[in-house]
Amino acid sequence: MAGKKPIEIFMPPNMLKAKVGSGGLSSSVIKKAEASIEELRGEFAGWIATDVNRLVERRDSYQAQADDHALSNLHRASHDLKGQASTFEFPLIARVASSLCQLTDEVNHGLDLPVTLINAHVDAIKVIMREGIKDPSNQMAVILAGELEGQVSAFLEKYAPASAGASA
Amino acid sequence: MSYQFNSLKVLVVDDNAHMRSLISRILHAYGIYTIYDAADAEQAWQVISVNPLDIILLDWVLEGMNGVELTDKIRNAPDSPNSFVPIIMVSGYSSKECVNAARDAGVTEFLAKPVSAKTILSRLIAAIEHPRPFVRTASYFGPCRRRRIDPFYKGPERRTESAEGNASTLDAA
Repeated sequence: MAGKKPIEIFMPPNMLKAKVGSGGLSSSVIKKAEASIEELRGEFAGWIATDVNRLVERRDSYQAQADDHALSNLHRASHDLKGQASTFEFPLIARVASSLCQLTDEVNHGLDLPVTLINAHVDAIKVIMREGIKDPSNQMAVILAGELEGQVSAFLEKYAPASAGASA
Repeated sequence: MSYQFNSLKVLVVDDNAHMRSLISRILHAYGIYTIYDAADAEQAWQVISVNPLDIILLDWVLEGMNGVELTDKIRNAPDSPNSFVPIIMVSGYSSKECVNAARDAGVTEFLAKPVSAKTILSRLIAAIEHPRPFVRTASYFGPCRRRRIDPFYKGPERRTESAEGNASTLDAA
């Protein structure tokens, strides 16, 4: 059509392939990479503790001044923890952080978020970390996570139905 | 013969130092020895500006400019030194909407956390073995957002300028 910019489709040279060649990787190299994670595994608990402390600080800041900036920071800390905890083998911290992430999502800014529910998430995360719970089927932590998720769903269905079903 | 990763130059962008450390350790174990890291988009841009990179692993959530915005800058900024560099988005966001948003910004591959040695390798191999053509329209520049190109497809051509700008009409990545 006249005046419209045409669609251009082209294949750039595959520089990556030219550099690395062919043949995949031997299983020994893959095992070496997995072993490199194994070497770090002893540090995971300490790393998660750093991230949890940051979440607590962000929660404290939000409690001191509940504005959008503080809420964004709290949301980012919970989102980071969700990703980090799943990688650093604390799946139930990741699950609770995901629930907090959904509650503090940007689309919910402007709502009067229940501080007690935010605190309950942070406290649950601290307990799971303190107890060193890594088993995703740990009964106490699963019940706790389920309860928090239920409360977040109930709150969002009541006050922000558009975001109630969204994943964090 | 096997892959020789030792000449690759890779940038890892993540605001979490521990995650940068973990990813860098995995890359090193795979034989990638030139690894830059950056904690935010500003640092990343400085690295991108002066180093010819082969791959970028990029977190979505960063302080200031986020990973999606940085991807858009890498693809479209007039002063971008490498608009074609493969970008692997590493993110805790894994919903279809988020994957689509990353793809619409020009991300090459998407890696949902948790990160592991195997998941990183699978995305590296995808970038090496299955590069996608690039598309330039009035509203998009980046890897083709159709995951598969079927050379035997005989149906109507659905790609239009508006469709390229609104990826919801295309297959999910």
